[in-house]
Amino acid sequence: MKKPEQRDLFPGALEMMILRTLKRQPLHGYALVQHIKRTSNDLLQIEEGSLYPALQRLLKEDLVKAEWAVSATNRRVRLYKLTPAGAKHLQLEVSRFEKMLEGITRVLAPGES
Amino acid sequence: MKITSWLKQLFSRRRLYDDLSAEIHAHLEEKIDELVATGMSRRDATHAARREFGNLTLIEQDSRSVWQWPTLENFFMDLRFSLRTLRKNPGFAVVAILTLALGVGAITAIFTVTYATLLAPLPYPNPGQLVMVWPTRANRRVWGASTGDFLDWKRESNVFQDLNAATASGTSFNIATSGRPEHVIAQQATPMYYRMIGIRFLLGRNFLPEEGTPGKDHVVILTYELWKRLGADTNIIGQPLRMDGVPYTVVGVTAPGPLDRIQFEMIVPLVFRPDQINHGFHWLFVMGRLKPHVTLAQAQADMSVVALRIAQDNPQTNTNWWVSVEPLQDDFLPPATSATLWLLFGAVGLVLCIACVNIANLLLARSTVRQREVAVRVSIGASRQRIFAQFLTESLSLAVVGGAVGVALAFALTRVIVSILPQFTLPSEADVKISGAVLLFTLLVSLSAGVVFGCAPAWQACGVDPNSVLKGGRTGAGRRRLRQALIVVEFGLALTLLAGAGLAIRSFWNLTRVDLGVRTDHILTFSLPVADGRLAQPQQMVAFHRELLTRLQAAPGVSAAVASTGLPVEGTRGGIQFWIAGAPAVPRESRPGAPLQAVTPGYYKVFGIKIIKGRAFTQDDSAGGVLVAVVNENFVRRYLPRVDPLTQRIIVETKRIPGVPAERPLEEWQIVGVFRNVRSFGLRNDDVPEIDVPFWQNPSPQAEIAVRTVGDPSTITKSIAAVVASMEPDLPLANIKTMNQIVGDSLAGDRFSTMLYGVFAALALLLAVVGIYGVMTFAVAQRTHEIGLRLALGARRIQVMHMVLREGMFLALLGVAVGLLGACAFGRILKSMLYGVAAIDFGVFALVSLTLLASALLASYLPAWRASRVDPMVALRYE
Repeated sequence: MKKPEQRDLFPGALEMMILRTLKRQPLHGYALVQHIKRTSNDLLQIEEGSLYPALQRLLKEDLVKAEWAVSATNRRVRLYKLTPAGAKHLQLEVSRFEKMLEGITRVLAPGES
Repeated sequence: MKITSWLKQLFSRRRLYDDLSAEIHAHLEEKIDELVATGMSRRDATHAARREFGNLTLIEQDSRSVWQWPTLENFFMDLRFSLRTLRKNPGFAVVAILTLALGVGAITAIFTVTYATLLAPLPYPNPGQLVMVWPTRANRRVWGASTGDFLDWKRESNVFQDLNAATASGTSFNIATSGRPEHVIAQQATPMYYRMIGIRFLLGRNFLPEEGTPGKDHVVILTYELWKRLGADTNIIGQPLRMDGVPYTVVGVTAPGPLDRIQFEMIVPLVFRPDQINHGFHWLFVMGRLKPHVTLAQAQADMSVVALRIAQDNPQTNTNWWVSVEPLQDDFLPPATSATLWLLFGAVGLVLCIACVNIANLLLARSTVRQREVAVRVSIGASRQRIFAQFLTESLSLAVVGGAVGVALAFALTRVIVSILPQFTLPSEADVKISGAVLLFTLLVSLSAGVVFGCAPAWQACGVDPNSVLKGGRTGAGRRRLRQALIVVEFGLALTLLAGAGLAIRSFWNLTRVDLGVRTDHILTFSLPVADGRLAQPQQMVAFHRELLTRLQAAPGVSAAVASTGLPVEGTRGGIQFWIAGAPAVPRESRPGAPLQAVTPGYYKVFGIKIIKGRAFTQDDSAGGVLVAVVNENFVRRYLPRVDPLTQRIIVETKRIPGVPAERPLEEWQIVGVFRNVRSFGLRNDDVPEIDVPFWQNPSPQAEIAVRTVGDPSTITKSIAAVVASMEPDLPLANIKTMNQIVGDSLAGDRFSTMLYGVFAALALLLAVVGIYGVMTFAVAQRTHEIGLRLALGARRIQVMHMVLREGMFLALLGVAVGLLGACAFGRILKSMLYGVAAIDFGVFALVSLTLLASALLASYLPAWRASRVDPMVALRYE
């Protein structure tokens, strides 16, 4: 079944945002989703839960790794870190995304044709 | 996903899943805590957190499925669930599984026979290379090649690795076994015949090429069954075996297999005498093995050249003779046999369809009951595909279990079929057993059945609207329509089968009541396989049989004994070409032929055959007297219309000797009598012209003996054997049968197929009845509320009962209407197998329709009665 967030975001967008966020600092799931929502000014409609399948995919492809830790608020949380492979993948994805965006922008730009 | 990494994950997965669950729960807790901190109540905070999070079950499932091979694992999960569901509803499971098992078991059993007969490759190396070479005349196969043809074919053709011949009729030997003499039929084959085919041996060896030369040919190969009957002596190779008093050396015993399913039981080398090498006498089956990569068309072309050359050099014998190269596979199978097999296969196919419809109906009814379950699953996040897949998996597991039970049933059924299958109906290569290929077929059939009966319920289940179901709404008009349509189809199929069986039974009944033209009671028949050469001269043959008949007539319990070269129903040994005296002489190729039988004087009396004109033979019709003949009514009608047959003479060439063409003087036979038609060649043939001549004028060394007995004919075999032994101690009795047995045996094929049609039709009827009973019962249960209301509002119980019965009968009537169309179609296909019945027989169709309607009435009666017993108070309180 098509999930609603996939209708809103293009495939891989959520993964890319997760990797970008984790590049700054390791975070656990809850913090991660709060951060993404906050940074995007709540413009992106993301179900909080949709993060987890994405995280599992990243884990499986060794782009992030996870370990249990205790958070600042003294909770047992699962902390996700970017792996070197993840960093490389992010770079690749971002440049590919920028190219795509540039293309789309040009097409959408008014008046040139 | 790579299999290795998937396997690795399979073991660490428990931890992965636990981590995931714990993590998600921690996430929710943190969220709730945060919301509570903003001043929300804990209850509201929990709801809000859940809402923000999304579908918890689905997300957890999706997250897990990242690590899975989803289709496969879902499948296993569905499978576990299905088996659990089945175990929890044993009543439903047993009915569904048994229903399917009946259908699958029946079709597997029939397919086993069909596969072995028509589809399985021959059990020989490179079977595609094996071909039969037949002489043909006017595009029709002649059942035998001449020695000259065979030798020329072999010498001049370029397409065969080898070409061999065997005698078409075989020969027979009396062999001395411990205790009593035994009569064994043998095949004579050129030495390399079975080496070419690739027959395997249990002991010893095949013939050597030099064993096809005179003087070295007293060697014999035993088939496995004969070897077993002779004591299964493992040291038999090299031992002498006395055959017709001559010692033969046993050189081999064949492995169990095709040769144990054929008339002959031993093989001796075929050696051609110089006088047998000619183009006139057709007595050989010729088989060849094509060279690798030679096609049938190439072989045919090559052989046509050879045939043309032979015809040019032998204009007398071979003008207009051609040759046909045909694959060995099924070359000996009569078209009627394969047609019967396919028809039976179609009939069981219908039974299976009915079984599927029944199960589909059961599943539909159940899926109505399970709407709540589906609604709950959908509302907590199950996707429609998953629901569909799960329902289909349930049907498929049902199908596989039912199929497995069906296979068990098929083992038993196959054994029954083999035991009632008339001997030698199938080709010898057909090894009727449940093989890997058959099991594969069964699996495919079961799975397709599962898909067929599983799709409708699965499709309905995934169309469930959770909202209305969970609110307690009723859905169902559409489903009920579908179930009713299925019942109509089911009845239609059942009626088709019933009508087919009815036609077959009617035809069989006609056959059993055919006027044979002879009496069949109190007659015992047997043949005396006197060894070739034992009675060389006609005088010896006459003397031997006169003495034998005199002694037999003197035996206690025997009122008369006669000898003949044929028997009613079983037929005569051969025919003769003739023309009527006074007509211009006719060249040999265009002379008419008729079956010929030599009989001793009492023959017509013993068999109760009426002489309708002139006289029967007397003891005076013997050598030296006027040559006479008696013909049947058909002969008179066809060849002697508008003349007094008793004034006519038949002109023939005198008798032939096997292997030697006839170039002998002509004889004239005076017709002295006309006998009433006898079904001499099976029960269906009633227009064969026949000629009988006195045995004393045309003696033969071997004859059939018939005795009329005072008491039960089957009880005097011993005293008869004693009489024969008093004359010839080494002479066994062969083919001992009462005349009633002969008639019974000739019906064996019809009995076999009629019985199977009957059984399948009965199965179909049973399933249809169970089907309508189930549907009506379910309909009544669903309408309990409505019925209660009707009763509460004043409907009488009898009216309620009528209402239910009316529905049942309406469906049955529609089904019968559909089925009558099917019956007409089935009847047309069956037509060629029927005797004395038209393809559309109103009596039969009416009878089976009434049977079906009566059964439907009975099956609806119980649910109707139950409906009329509904207690309105209970029914209305129930909701």
